[in-house]
Amino acid sequence: MIDPRVTRLAELIIGYSLELGEGAVVRLDGGETASPLLLALYRAALAAGAHPYTSVELDGLAEQLVELGSDEQIEYLSPTEWHEVENLDALVTVWSDANTRSFTRSDPDRHSRYIGARRKLALRRWERISSGDMGWCGTLYPNAAHAQDAEMSIEEYETFVFGACHTDGEDAAGRWRSVASRLAARADELGRVRELRVLGPDTEIRLGVAGRTWIAADGRLNMPDGEVFTSPRELETEGEIRFTFPAIFEGREVEDVRLRFEGGRVVAAEAARGGSYLQSLLDMDDGARILGEVAFGLNYGIDRFTRNILFDEKIGGTMHFALGTGFAQAGGKNISGLHWDMICDLREEGEVYADGELVWQAGRFLAEPGGGNGSAGG
Amino acid sequence: MADARVERLASVLVDYSTAVKPGDLVLIEATALAAPLVRAVHRRVVEAGGQPRTRIAIAGVAETLFLHASDDQLDWVNPSRYVDFEKADVRMHLLAELNTRSLSGVDPARQARMARANEKLRDITMNRAAAGELRWTVTLFPTQAAAQDAEMSLAQYEDFVYGAGLVDREDAVAQWTSFGQRLSRLAEWLGAKKELRVVADGTDLRLGVAGRRWISCDGKENFPDGEVFTGPVETSLEGEISFTFPAAFAGRSVEGIRLVFTEGEVVEGTARRGQEFLREMLAMDDGARRAGEFSFGMNESIQEFTRNTLFDEKIGGTVHLALGKSYPESGGTNQSGLHWDLVCDLRQGSEVYADGELVYRDGSFLDGIG
Repeated sequence: MIDPRVTRLAELIIGYSLELGEGAVVRLDGGETASPLLLALYRAALAAGAHPYTSVELDGLAEQLVELGSDEQIEYLSPTEWHEVENLDALVTVWSDANTRSFTRSDPDRHSRYIGARRKLALRRWERISSGDMGWCGTLYPNAAHAQDAEMSIEEYETFVFGACHTDGEDAAGRWRSVASRLAARADELGRVRELRVLGPDTEIRLGVAGRTWIAADGRLNMPDGEVFTSPRELETEGEIRFTFPAIFEGREVEDVRLRFEGGRVVAAEAARGGSYLQSLLDMDDGARILGEVAFGLNYGIDRFTRNILFDEKIGGTMHFALGTGFAQAGGKNISGLHWDMICDLREEGEVYADGELVWQAGRFLAEPGGGNGSAGG
Repeated sequence: MADARVERLASVLVDYSTAVKPGDLVLIEATALAAPLVRAVHRRVVEAGGQPRTRIAIAGVAETLFLHASDDQLDWVNPSRYVDFEKADVRMHLLAELNTRSLSGVDPARQARMARANEKLRDITMNRAAAGELRWTVTLFPTQAAAQDAEMSLAQYEDFVYGAGLVDREDAVAQWTSFGQRLSRLAEWLGAKKELRVVADGTDLRLGVAGRRWISCDGKENFPDGEVFTGPVETSLEGEISFTFPAAFAGRSVEGIRLVFTEGEVVEGTARRGQEFLREMLAMDDGARRAGEFSFGMNESIQEFTRNTLFDEKIGGTVHLALGKSYPESGGTNQSGLHWDLVCDLRQGSEVYADGELVYRDGSFLDGIG
């Protein structure tokens, strides 16, 4: 039997997130374990009059290529991939790794080469997404590997995922529309701020955000969602930050990352575990040492760390900072093959000052946008 | 435990069947059920210096499309498929079905409609293959569904499949090479003939083959293999033919097909089961009522009928005729969205005449031929 929460998630993504119209060509990407959701998305897209097709990745193949391929083979991008990135009207990415750590033992240089080669493709994709030329939504299918990372049973994890997406009940789209209006008001207010100062355990960092646009992440590009973000001014980040949650990139975990910024760039980086991987990613290209994103996690329905950025970055009461590519629609100019979100838990003793004024304490904004008390978010 | 025969099959497909060279773009199409073979082929392609690219289908998509798509959606062909087909140096299709009858309830007219829409893609493959620009192969990875059609356990079916491909032996490539030489001699001999007449119970069919090229199939484009085929002269078929084997085709079973040809065209087509589907396939387009291929099955290590054309059409002692598109390299000129192989068992009470001379009886060419 089809889980109705899966069907609702598919309909939410096709109807609300992408607003897919007649004739739109949409590719549905996922691992084999995501088959139930891919099939539901396929059906929902057909019902919308679109032209869907699935693109399923078998686990183990990329790992094999990285292990055995020559540099040329590892870096190869097929003409079809280029054609698709230029022509798709929409793309759904269903994260559903069969094993989230399958690259852990890969040679870091070979793995970076693999990711670096896909940078041009990723950049072009972001360009088309940012300009509104292509729709995109990234979501996750609750499979055993992700449940294992979250240290939950599959049933508990399904409850967590579908709860965070609001597809555990009827009218998910209606619920997201109401989240959207609250986040939009918060983004408006942050848009008037020139400088943010974030204080937390081993953290004191200043970011310039003047002239940048804050964007309400309201379930269009990600499902679940619930954050407001911008791309900070590239050359103004100063100070130190410590990430208490592990930072995970392409399935590899780096623990207790500490970064020091000067003039916008990371000038010192250390980690309790995974330090060499951290260094190799920072060295990927010029943009990899510059922040492309700063954000407030405001989905208070996500209350714990589950080792998955899609959820962790939205944990109500956290902030996250991404090294690498910025968002053009936010005014970001940084370009990189990297976009690595790292999460800073501010729920216990965090403080954020906006142009010198305390606006956030212990994981909550002090006032509703436009005045009033309490917390915003979904 | 990994099945060594899967690794060997992968090696034969990459090294022998499609001879992957450094830099070749290799398109690997399969369902997720074929994952062990996809991984082995992918690895071998990387080792051979090729660039593997996978297109993995998941069960249920085809049914969903047929049940829910509008005509416009059925007619749509994914433009990136054209890029795949135009750019690939090698195309491998690894069949692995979850349910061979999943489309039994689909309106055959909708299947015919989609086949027509996809004809251009098939043309690209066939034309590029004929021009020597594309090497392709089709094989099967044993699944429970295929084993069930064969009325075997999965383990028995694996033995059957790997036995038919000779990959249960160390020297599979040498075996195929020597088998191929025998088939080439037969193809050359058939190439000098002008007309064939096939006579069996329910069958008396004449086909013109003058000027057409016979092609020996030695494990390159199909795996397993073992046939010699040509494209008969399109207007030449006269008489009737009865196909003794039922076939699982396009997600359904069609049984007891009998066709009557006049001037190369099917003028009467009946089936004991699946009559409506047969009628729709014949009505797909003008070329669907003409034969695009005639072939002798020559693989003696396939004796059993398993309800799967890839194997059944190679059974030593059978012939098959395909309705629809011909392979350009055989000299055939028929165009159609259809290519449907129908198998006729000749192992008992049959005769084949070439230019009036008896050359084949009860499933074997007479001594000294080919």
